Amino acid sequence: MNRQPEPGAAAHWAGGTRVFYAVPLLALAIPLFANPYTQFVVNLMLVYVLVAVGFNLVLGNLGQLAFANTALFGIGAYTAAMLMVHAGWPFWAAIIPAGIAGAAAGFLASVTALRGIRNYYLAIVTLAFGELLRWTYIHGEVATGGTDGLAVPRADFLGIVLDSETARFYVFLLIVVVMVKAISNLLQSKVGRAIVAIRDNELATASLAIPTGRYIVLAFMLSGFVVGVAGSLFAVLLGQVVPESFGLIELILHFAMVLVGGLGSLFGSVLGAVALTALPEFFRGFPGLYEMFFGGLLIVFLLIQPRGLSALCAKAWPGLRDRYFRDR
Amino acid sequence: MFFLQLALSGLAQGAIYALVALSMCVVYRATTVVNFGHGDLVMAGAFVTYLLVVLAGLPFPVSAVLAVALLFVLGLAIEVGLIERIKAGPHIGFALMCIAVGYLLRGIARGVWGREVLPMPRVFDFPPVILGDLVVTADALVIFFVVGVLLMLFFGLFYRTSAGRIMQAVCQSERGAALVGINVRTFHGVMWGVGAALGAVGGVLIAPLTLLHPGLGASFLIKGFAAMTLGGFGSLGGAVAGGLLLGLAEQWIGGYVSTKLIDIAAYLVIILVLALRPQGLFGRTVAERV
Repeated sequence: MNRQPEPGAAAHWAGGTRVFYAVPLLALAIPLFANPYTQFVVNLMLVYVLVAVGFNLVLGNLGQLAFANTALFGIGAYTAAMLMVHAGWPFWAAIIPAGIAGAAAGFLASVTALRGIRNYYLAIVTLAFGELLRWTYIHGEVATGGTDGLAVPRADFLGIVLDSETARFYVFLLIVVVMVKAISNLLQSKVGRAIVAIRDNELATASLAIPTGRYIVLAFMLSGFVVGVAGSLFAVLLGQVVPESFGLIELILHFAMVLVGGLGSLFGSVLGAVALTALPEFFRGFPGLYEMFFGGLLIVFLLIQPRGLSALCAKAWPGLRDRYFRDR
Repeated sequence: MFFLQLALSGLAQGAIYALVALSMCVVYRATTVVNFGHGDLVMAGAFVTYLLVVLAGLPFPVSAVLAVALLFVLGLAIEVGLIERIKAGPHIGFALMCIAVGYLLRGIARGVWGREVLPMPRVFDFPPVILGDLVVTADALVIFFVVGVLLMLFFGLFYRTSAGRIMQAVCQSERGAALVGINVRTFHGVMWGVGAALGAVGGVLIAPLTLLHPGLGASFLIKGFAAMTLGGFGSLGGAVAGGLLLGLAEQWIGGYVSTKLIDIAAYLVIILVLALRPQGLFGRTVAERV
């Protein structure tokens, strides 16, 4: 829990992951050999990297089942779209409010649940919350456009007009790198350790005078912020925001990304998002195959590789080992 | 009169919610796993009945019994084949497993069913009973009868027989029950089967009343949770009472305020209960000390 890692391991950790700084640098070259469609898929991967990283904070690090992730994603997307459509805000100004709206939703969903039996009520309230929001999108026609949704106007980011996939790619990459690095730092701070400690044993954590309720709410808010920002990018990337994008079909994709990548691993969430983003496109023609595939994928991983792909990678590359995970 | 007519249809709906909530509660009490895929088992019950009636041409009562039996086996298989294997892992694993199974079932249903919303042929064709100004539909009568009999059977078994006492013992302490020679592992499997079968009865009863679609499970899951929350999480009698009250609340809100609100009554119930009385109507407060 709060035991100190051996000095050797810590040094190894820092050295082993410094390689990651090369990833975004190499990614800068992607537009050179990508056609517009593959570039779109790569952009979508960037959006889902934020989605998975944000979801992992609650699902993996806090160890709390939550269903609100699509709701937070939707709030971010709708907030950005509504600010741009109704208030005429530029895109860059709408990103932070989208994140704040997501954080506020995370706050609301978790604060009510703390009054009941925590484990279950957090999950149940987030489930109800997500469906409630989707109902609001459909019935709040004036603001949300109802089932037709909202068309997002052309976006620009500090003077750069985002009218091509390539332009969007560079802006998205910048935002994603900054946020992933921020989350990475946060996870290695006191806050991150407290969140993981609550996962491992809430009672023991509370007995160390760590206010567990406050950290649970904080984790939900942080998760909401990251996923809300992802929502604003999603809105600009697709050019429209409709209620169906944020339903239960989307939710299984989010679950799969975090679990396949590896619960609790930041690297894993990035990996899971990159690996799974392109898949749903293949199932478009066959009703039901999408749910069967992702349901089956989750079952297989839970039975065979519950620590996800990141644990497999860590075998080959010990620097990736999850320092905060202890085998039970 | 309008009030009573709404109450009647509310109780009929509520009886089905009660059954679903009870079936979720049985699994939770017996195994401490909250089955987040339970709604899809309810859907599967309705779906199998539909297939047997429409495609295989079997009479409704036979199909219903077959569907419930099949779901018992499915529930047992899920516990023994999937949940039991990851028992040693963290709790979040069971929850994710339940979700995954739910999605898998929904996908299979969608694959067979296609994208259409299908009406089940009418089953009970006898005329409604008229009491003064009240019209009691045949469907409501069948629901009251079936749910009433099942509830009496279940609670009779649970509180009055030695098999029921074994169940209560395992619910109280797994380790203690294992020490006095109860086979806890088999018990868990059987209780999953019972939960799935009870849920399937709910699905079979709802099948002739509404349009069927693979997404049915999600709304049942939330309604079951709302009923459990209202009655007190984990209380068997509370789940039944909560289901009936939820059915009534939905109809009255729909009748007097707006029909749009019927869909979200369950969510509002969950949030209101947590804000005002987190232990539910019949739940006991669990003191949590640090």
